[in-house]
Amino acid sequence: MNTAEFSVLLVEDEKEIRRFVRQALEGDGCRVREAGTMAQGLSDATNDKPDLIILDLGLPDGDGVVFVQRLRSWSNIPVLVLSARTAEQSKIAVLDAGADDYLTKPFSVGELLARVRASLRRSRSGHMLESPVVQFGNIEVDLSRHLVSKDGLPVKLTAIELKLLSVLLANAGRVMTHRHLLRDVWGASHIESTHYLRIYVAHLRQKLEEDATQPVHFQTEIGIGYRFQY
Amino acid sequence: MQQVTGIGLSRWASHLLAILSCAFTAMITQPLRELVDQANIVMLFLLTVALVAVWLGRKPAITASLVSIALFDFFFVSPRFSFAVNDAQYLITFAVMLMVALIIGHLTNGLRQSAIDAGEREQQTRALYALAQQLAGAVTAEQSTAYVQQFVSGHPQLGFRVLVPTSDEQLVLTGNTQHAISLTEMMVAKSVFTSGNAIEISDESPATLVLPLLGATRSRGVLLVDGQIATLRGQRALMEAVASLLATALDRLHFVEVAQQNRMQMLSERLRSSILAALSHDVRTPLTVLYGLADTLTLPQQQLPEAARQTACSIRDQAMRLNNMVNNLLDMARLHAGQVQLHKEWQPIEEVIGTSIRLSGADSQGHAVKVYLADNLPLIEFDAVLLERVFCNLIENAAKYSPPDSDIALSVTTEGQEAVVEVSNAGAGFAANKLKLVFEPFERGNAEGTVGGVGMGLAICRAVIEAHCGQISASNLAGARVRFTLPLGVPPVVEPEQEEAA
Repeated sequence: MNTAEFSVLLVEDEKEIRRFVRQALEGDGCRVREAGTMAQGLSDATNDKPDLIILDLGLPDGDGVVFVQRLRSWSNIPVLVLSARTAEQSKIAVLDAGADDYLTKPFSVGELLARVRASLRRSRSGHMLESPVVQFGNIEVDLSRHLVSKDGLPVKLTAIELKLLSVLLANAGRVMTHRHLLRDVWGASHIESTHYLRIYVAHLRQKLEEDATQPVHFQTEIGIGYRFQY
Repeated sequence: MQQVTGIGLSRWASHLLAILSCAFTAMITQPLRELVDQANIVMLFLLTVALVAVWLGRKPAITASLVSIALFDFFFVSPRFSFAVNDAQYLITFAVMLMVALIIGHLTNGLRQSAIDAGEREQQTRALYALAQQLAGAVTAEQSTAYVQQFVSGHPQLGFRVLVPTSDEQLVLTGNTQHAISLTEMMVAKSVFTSGNAIEISDESPATLVLPLLGATRSRGVLLVDGQIATLRGQRALMEAVASLLATALDRLHFVEVAQQNRMQMLSERLRSSILAALSHDVRTPLTVLYGLADTLTLPQQQLPEAARQTACSIRDQAMRLNNMVNNLLDMARLHAGQVQLHKEWQPIEEVIGTSIRLSGADSQGHAVKVYLADNLPLIEFDAVLLERVFCNLIENAAKYSPPDSDIALSVTTEGQEAVVEVSNAGAGFAANKLKLVFEPFERGNAEGTVGGVGMGLAICRAVIEAHCGQISASNLAGARVRFTLPLGVPPVVEPEQEEAA
């Protein structure tokens, strides 16, 4: 997808990081606006209504979770979070608060652009699948008729497996936290039962992946959740 | 037993005084001889004997009673001025007089003795109290010992020595002592120190009483008291009191030290974690910039000449390597500082294996990872983030030391109550003399230093596996092999799904 004509707000305190991120995004045709503090970022987001916000979690003047919560109170602008490696808990918190994706520092420009494009695509389609029939690898899924086939042969999925699959497909490319998936598939009362989620993801991999130990589509984000990748 | 007299006279003087009192009584009663009955005269003599018994004690009282009998017989009983006795009933008078003297003398003697004992005890208690007060203010073991020695100087017939344990549980003498400790004494002291029961060494002269200094939680040392066996036994209660006071003081000093150490440790840990946090932020930010800028240069739209693009690639890759090293060092520092909290969850182990293989980039180096999983592996409880580091490090290591295009094997099986994971490659193996050392920080398994790395990876693996109560080992069975175990435990129940018409 071409990202031309999209505007991106970059909230990051380190000037040099802003410089190369801006360079990369502008090279891809985006318009970029920079903010060095969280307060500036929030006011820019309100005034400019960008198509995407890239938010550094290590800002000195505030908590990324609060930023996302306040943003989510009035807007669905996708948020891509930049974070340090060892901060799993803060990543989960900000994703649960409504951030769409994260990138761990240091990251490559290619990775950044891929995530930006995926976020923009999802936000444009409004998190809805364009068609009830989805294809990935040698799998075809017809969500309207609850049919799944692998290499043309039908695969039997249980109701929960199908529901999990449809939630993952609807959020393709996006990292889904354990909490988020448990809430969407099992309901709010099962938010702590992560072992259920893990077992059902394992079932999906066994039924749909070529090699369940090295999955291509149902990827694990260790310590955080899962991501479906076409 | 020491001679006790009420008014502190010598033995002969008190006897003389007793005789004089009797003589005085005889003198003043002489004129009354015609006026009062002899029975009343006897009463006056009896009074004298009683008074002598009270004032001068038992022996002078006996003397007084004998002298009184003699005087009464001589001057009052007819025939006068002779010791002959006409009437046998006077023998009763004499006997009564003697008995009264004995009884009163005995009673007053007992009373006086117990008064003196009470006085001594009070003095001792006061001294012990003063010692306790001094010990409460002591700030070192040496000072405590010095206070005890000062206290003991009131008992010149006793010698004291105090042994306290060093940090490695060796007993050493403390304070100023005249004589050293013999081998026998040291052996006895050690057994008293460990058992906590007092022992008397009485086959030598002077004998030695070895008392444990029992603190609230353990022995704090040993007190040796030297002296004659009888003195030691007589003073044992006092010595035990001193031992318990000294033990309390040493106990207090110990806990003060522990509290201080804890405080120091807390402070240094806080310092360490803030240094780590600062390092991880301050090092990673420029690395992110370096990596990002170099990566930007490699993009096709930059249209750099090929040589410059290669240089940019190289800068980028080196930045990533540096980043990985910093990560490893920080991980190691955290794991060693015991700061890592395990976020253990029940999960299938293959999930971590999958992401680790992807992250390690073994595929891109031409090494396929062949995974073998036993059927029906149960869920295992572990910290996924940390175990991912273990798998990544093991796979990266295996790839680094593999011949080109060879496979890496990874298997998970169960053995009893443990899951067993093995990662092996077709490489030359670990240097035989380093098999035990490869899990030490900064140790590199292969002798030839052609492959880069600081030797942190396996040390991190060991720290993580040990934090999970597992074991890790290396061997050279058919290539290099690292094997580790994780306890299986009892996974939570997963209720099967109610099958609906899907």
